Amino acid sequence: MTMILADADIQSIWLTVRLASVVTVALLILGTPIAWWLARTRSRLKGVLGAVVALPLVLPPSVLGFYLLLAMGPDGPVGQLTRVLGIGALPFTFRGLVVASIFYSLPFMVQPLQNAFESIGERPLEVAATLGASPLDAFFTVALPLARPGFLTASILTFAHTVGEFGVVLMIGGNIPGVSRVASVQIYDHVEALEYAQAHRMAAVMLIFSFIVLLALYVWRPGTMKTTRKD
Amino acid sequence: MKLSLNVRKSFADFTLSAGFTVDGDRVGVFGVSGSGKSTLVSMLAGLLEPDSGEIVLDGECLFSSAAGINLRPEQRRIAMVFQQHCLFPHLNVRNNLLYGFRRCPAEYRTIDFDTLTGVLKLDGLLERSVTNLSGGEKQRVALGRAILANPRLLLMDEPLSALDDSLRFQIIPYLRSVSEQFGIPYLFISHSLVEMRLMTDSALVFEKGTLTGQVSSEQLARDRMGQSQAGYINLLKLGSPTAISGMSAYPWGASRLLLSAGTERETSMAELSSKDIILFKQHPEAISARNLLECTVRSLFCSGRKTGVELECAGNTLIAEVVQDAVDELGITPGSTIYAAIKASAFRLLPG
Repeated sequence: MTMILADADIQSIWLTVRLASVVTVALLILGTPIAWWLARTRSRLKGVLGAVVALPLVLPPSVLGFYLLLAMGPDGPVGQLTRVLGIGALPFTFRGLVVASIFYSLPFMVQPLQNAFESIGERPLEVAATLGASPLDAFFTVALPLARPGFLTASILTFAHTVGEFGVVLMIGGNIPGVSRVASVQIYDHVEALEYAQAHRMAAVMLIFSFIVLLALYVWRPGTMKTTRKD
Repeated sequence: MKLSLNVRKSFADFTLSAGFTVDGDRVGVFGVSGSGKSTLVSMLAGLLEPDSGEIVLDGECLFSSAAGINLRPEQRRIAMVFQQHCLFPHLNVRNNLLYGFRRCPAEYRTIDFDTLTGVLKLDGLLERSVTNLSGGEKQRVALGRAILANPRLLLMDEPLSALDDSLRFQIIPYLRSVSEQFGIPYLFISHSLVEMRLMTDSALVFEKGTLTGQVSSEQLARDRMGQSQAGYINLLKLGSPTAISGMSAYPWGASRLLLSAGTERETSMAELSSKDIILFKQHPEAISARNLLECTVRSLFCSGRKTGVELECAGNTLIAEVVQDAVDELGITPGSTIYAAIKASAFRLLPG
């Protein structure tokens, strides 16, 4: 790899992978209850929350980034909260980038999970309840295992989408090597500096990565896996 | 099991309103689809909350709108067998069976795993994936899973309706074992009169969301004979057959019946519709039907436009149906002797 890519390139790729991993794990924890609620509720707020979750799909990343920057700024509500908590300012830090990416990739985690939970239906959970399982017990022993293909799809999509983000990163993180200069920003820098050879190599890495991810998603269907996991 | 229930539940286009007290271990809930049977059992299991009313099982209040009580399904110890088997596809047979058992408090665990798998003949399937089982095997696993939860009441919501005819009768002995071998009282929901008679002693009859009757299953079948296309289904216990001139001769009480059905299947039961019995006032000299039984008329009963004739033949009971004109013409009265002719092909052997 070092033969092909410069150290700065590798640093940006490593940062990207680290960011995407942290965001995927964080969204698994945050997105699962949201998806579960959306899949099961009959509340009128379902439509509102569903629309909020889907916003990043249609919003220009710069718009999302702009509002997040304001919110995280010293006068913004998030900024004031983080100052009180002693975390410090979030913009132009890796932490800020994680927070912004969580919002940006939210629908890619929540929507596949919501679909997976909805497709399970009520019946398996009702059966579990009549067999003595509490709602939480039934969630972990029935709903989660049955939604496993949805979790795989959601994780892959979230990871890949975070790897590909650009606009939000520039707005929130800027372009600081090792902190916020992710692969997509690095490619942009190469092009700006007319370093087309380096840009080509980085772009090829990104292209191959994206293709492999999608290939995995389309060819290796998690739903058809043999599932005989122990209770 | 003593169950007192008085509930009301309204939907956009349907209201269920029922009040009854039932005492017994093999109780049926009978009605056509859409009569409210499944709504009733869902409320009993705690899966559906009544709008108002009270449900008391063996002295314990499960639901009371007045007292603000609504036990969660997992607190009721009422297990359920559904129309579809609803097995957990991510667990193998053993872990499906143990799902409820592991969640049952130790003091209630009276039925153990090995006894259950023996009775339900599941020993050879335990490590299999449930996706690789036949329809009958899946329903047996679902039944075993519910029994092993050691419930105080088992609800069976049309557990045979998803199975084909021959399979239904293979499963019935296993369903009966719930009460006979494991001592668990059950509520059996069905729209089949034959299943009601085989599975229950008494039945609650529902029509359009209202309880219209509470009768013995036998009485229910007689009441419905006149309007049922299949008539009243006589269930005959038969002995071991012998082959006679291309047919099978089955001992039946002190008599013998000739059936055109083959002897290759192990069986002890046959169905015979009340419509397939022809009555003669005197001994006909020669008829094509291969079975002619001398019977005594025990009683007569009306069912719709038909009259049911309860016959005593060779120590057994048979129900035949005729129109009122025939009763008058033949002079059928209780105590009179009459001849019943049955074609050898009229019987249907039940497997198992």
